[in-house]
Amino acid sequence: MASKKGRAKKLTRRSFLKLFGGASLAGISLNLAGCSKPLTADRAAGGEGWIPTQYNIPGNWPTQVRGRVAIDPTNPSIHRDDQKCILCGQCIEVCQNVQTVYGNYELPLKNDLICIHCGQCTHWCPSGAIAEVDDTAKVLKALNDPEIHVVVQTAPATRVGLGEEFGLPVGTNVQGKQVAALKKLGFDAVFDTNFTADLTIMEEGTELVKRLTGELKEPLPQLTSCCPGWVKFVEYFYPDLIHHLSSAKSPQQMEGALIKTYYAKAKGIDPKKIYSVSIMPCTAKKFECQRPEMISASKHLEDDKVTPDVDVVLTTRELARMIKSAGIDFNSLADEKYDRLMGESTGAAIIFGTTGGVMEAAVRSAWYLVTNEQPPAELWNLTPVRGMEGIKEGAVTIPGAGEVRVAVAHGLGNARKLMDQVRAGKSPYHFIEVMACPGGCEYGGGQPRASAPPSDQVRERRTKTIYEMDAKCPLRNSHDNPEIAQIYKDFLGTPMSHIAHELLHTEYTSRADSFTPKKV
Amino acid sequence: MSSAVNTQSKTFGVLVDIPKCIGCESCSVACKLYNDLKWDPKRKAKTARERAQEPNKGLWADDWTSINLYEPEKNGQKVLRFVKTQCFHCLEPACASACFSKAFQKLPQGPVIYDQSLCVGCRYCMLACPFDILKYEWEKAIPGVRKCQMCAQRGANFQIPACVSVCPTGALTCGERDELLAEARKRIKENGYIDHIFGEKEAGGTSWLYISDVPFDQMRFRTDVTTRPMPSYSEGYMKLTPLVGISWAAVLTGLYVYNNKWKEPLD
Repeated sequence: MASKKGRAKKLTRRSFLKLFGGASLAGISLNLAGCSKPLTADRAAGGEGWIPTQYNIPGNWPTQVRGRVAIDPTNPSIHRDDQKCILCGQCIEVCQNVQTVYGNYELPLKNDLICIHCGQCTHWCPSGAIAEVDDTAKVLKALNDPEIHVVVQTAPATRVGLGEEFGLPVGTNVQGKQVAALKKLGFDAVFDTNFTADLTIMEEGTELVKRLTGELKEPLPQLTSCCPGWVKFVEYFYPDLIHHLSSAKSPQQMEGALIKTYYAKAKGIDPKKIYSVSIMPCTAKKFECQRPEMISASKHLEDDKVTPDVDVVLTTRELARMIKSAGIDFNSLADEKYDRLMGESTGAAIIFGTTGGVMEAAVRSAWYLVTNEQPPAELWNLTPVRGMEGIKEGAVTIPGAGEVRVAVAHGLGNARKLMDQVRAGKSPYHFIEVMACPGGCEYGGGQPRASAPPSDQVRERRTKTIYEMDAKCPLRNSHDNPEIAQIYKDFLGTPMSHIAHELLHTEYTSRADSFTPKKV
Repeated sequence: MSSAVNTQSKTFGVLVDIPKCIGCESCSVACKLYNDLKWDPKRKAKTARERAQEPNKGLWADDWTSINLYEPEKNGQKVLRFVKTQCFHCLEPACASACFSKAFQKLPQGPVIYDQSLCVGCRYCMLACPFDILKYEWEKAIPGVRKCQMCAQRGANFQIPACVSVCPTGALTCGERDELLAEARKRIKENGYIDHIFGEKEAGGTSWLYISDVPFDQMRFRTDVTTRPMPSYSEGYMKLTPLVGISWAAVLTGLYVYNNKWKEPLD
C-alpha cells in the first residue's frame, strides 16, 4: 500500500488487515444489496446420474412402459434389490398384461399389496433385481443338525430345468443326477413329488367323477387346484367360483402331509424331528407352504409341536446355488434313484410339469375310474391339450359318463377369459386346468432363466423332454402306480376317504375384502 | 394437465395423490439413479414401514426422498397409505431466506435449489426449514447440505422431475401450480377426499401439494405449521441489514479518516 509521505512500499500486518477487511466489507455490502447473480437451474446440486431413455422426454406425456410393481418386504416368495432396479418397467409389463394382476383393482389400496407370488417378474427382470426369497440358509441349518431328519421332495418340472444351471442344453433331463446331488448334500430321504401327483389324480379324478355323476353336490366345471398362484388368483378375483376349485391339495402339500404321517409311521421316526423340504420350479409354493391351514400332519397327529407339512420350499435356482456352493461336480454325478415308499411315479405324473399335463393325466384316470377299464392308447397322447396355445380345449367320450369337455389355460390372462365365461354361466366345460405361469411349471417363477423375458422356444424345449419322459415310462396312468395302490391299502383306504380328506384336501378363503374390485 | 412444461413465466409444482400410491418406490429409485446418490446398505434394508417411524422420516444426505408407510384407519379398517416425503419447495423458502451466502435460492419455475460452491457450511438453512428436510453430509471432509432439487436441470430441458416421470399409477402429477390446485379440488370432490390441500397454504404455500382420503395428521404431516411465509417473521428488521452494514462501514471509515488527519502513522 502506498504511504502518504512517499516511503518505500511495504506490506505490513496493519495494511494487510486493512486491505482484506475493506474488501470483505465491500463484498458483503454488495451481496446484501442484492448485486449477486441469481442461481440458474444448471447450478443445482445432483443430476449427475441417469434414468432410462423412455423417461427423458419433454412434457408430461405418459411413458408406455414405466415404473415397477410394488413388492411387500414381507412377501414370502419374491424380493427385490432396489440397488439393481433400473426402472425398465418389465415387471409391470408381465404382471399387468400377461398375468392380469397389477392394475386389476381400484385404488386406493386396502390392507394388501396384491401379489399371487407366481414369480414371472423374476424371469422378466433384466437386471436380476427381482429374485426369489433365499431360504437356503434355513435348509443348511437343518442339514447340519444331526437331530433333525431332513426329507426332500422334488417337483416334476425341476428335473428338466436344473441341468441348465450347470451348462447343459435347455430341457436336459437330470432326474437321476438331481437325486444324487440331494443325497450328497445330506438329505436323509429323497422323494418324488411325482408320487403325490399320481395321488392328486386319484383324489381330484375321483372328485371330478363324483361331480359329473352328481354324487358330490359341487358345481361344474371343476377347476384344478395344484397351482398356488392360480388358487390365490381365484381367491382374489373370482371368490364366487371358489367352489369350482377341486378341494384336492397340490402334490407338494399332499407329500408334505404324508411325509410327517405315513412316512414317519412306516419308518418309526418322530414327526417332530422331521424337517420337510421341497424343491419346486415355483416361487408361489413358498407362499403355499406358509398358508395357515397347511398343518394337516400336526392336526392329524393332534400334536402342535409338529411343524407345518412343508417346512421350507427351495426353487430350482436355489438348489443349483446350494449344489454349486457345496462344490459338487453335478455333471459327473452318477444317476441315483428316489427312495422307496413315495418315490415311484408314472408318465401321468411327470407331465404335471407342463401346461395341459394335469388335464391329460386326469382324463387317463377318469376313464379308469368310470369304466374300471384301462384307457385306450389315444389318451396317452392327448394332442388337443398339448402345446403353447394360451387356451386349449378337447373332448373325450367316456363310456358311462358321456362326453367330457375339457379346457386348459396357462398364463392368468388366458384363465380370466375362461373364468368370465364360468361366471356368466356360459362355460361349456366340465373340467378346466389352469397354471399361472405361461408354459406351466416347466417355466415357473423358480426355474432357471433360459431367456429374459422367457420365450416359447425355450418353453417348448423343456416341454418336449417332459413328453418324451412320459412316452418312455413303463407305466402311463396314475392309477397303475404300485406305491399308490399300496398307500390306499395301508393308510388312506379309498380316494376321498375320511383320512384322505384330513390330509389331502383343503379349503379356500375369499380375499375379495383385501382390495376394491375394478370398475367395469 | 399442461403438456408444455416449464415456460419461464410459470411456476410449477407436483401434486401427490396419496390414495393412488401403491408403494412401488419407483420414485425413490429414480431419484437415486438420476442424482447418482449412494446406497447405504443399512438404510437400504429399511422398509417403508420402518422409515415412517424414524425421526427424519427416512431422509438422509443420500436419500432425498422416501416412501413411508402409514396404517391409518378408514371406515374402521386399517389401510395402507404410502406417503412420498421430500422437500416441499416452499414458495417463500425459509432456507433461502436464512442463507446469507445465497447458496439456496428459489427458481421462478418452482424448484428451491442449492449450489455448494456458494455454501459456507453454517447450516442456518437446516434450522430454518419448518419441515426438517435438509440434511448435512457429516461424514465428508468438505460437506454440503443435501435435499431434493426437484430435478431443476431436467426442468430446464422441459422434462418433468425423475420421480414423477416413473410413477406408474399417476399418484404424482407435474404441472402449473394453479392448474394443480384446480385439479386437486376436483379430485377431492370426485373421490370424497379430506377437504384440505396440504401445501396450498402451509408455510405460505409450497410447490408440492398433497391430497388424501385420510387425515394428514395420521401420516406425520406437520399440520401445525404456520400458514404465514416463514421469511415474513424476520423480514421487517432483517431487511435493514444491508443498510446497517453500509452505514456502519461509513461511520467507521469516517472515524478512521478523522483520526488520521492529525496523526503520523505509527510505523
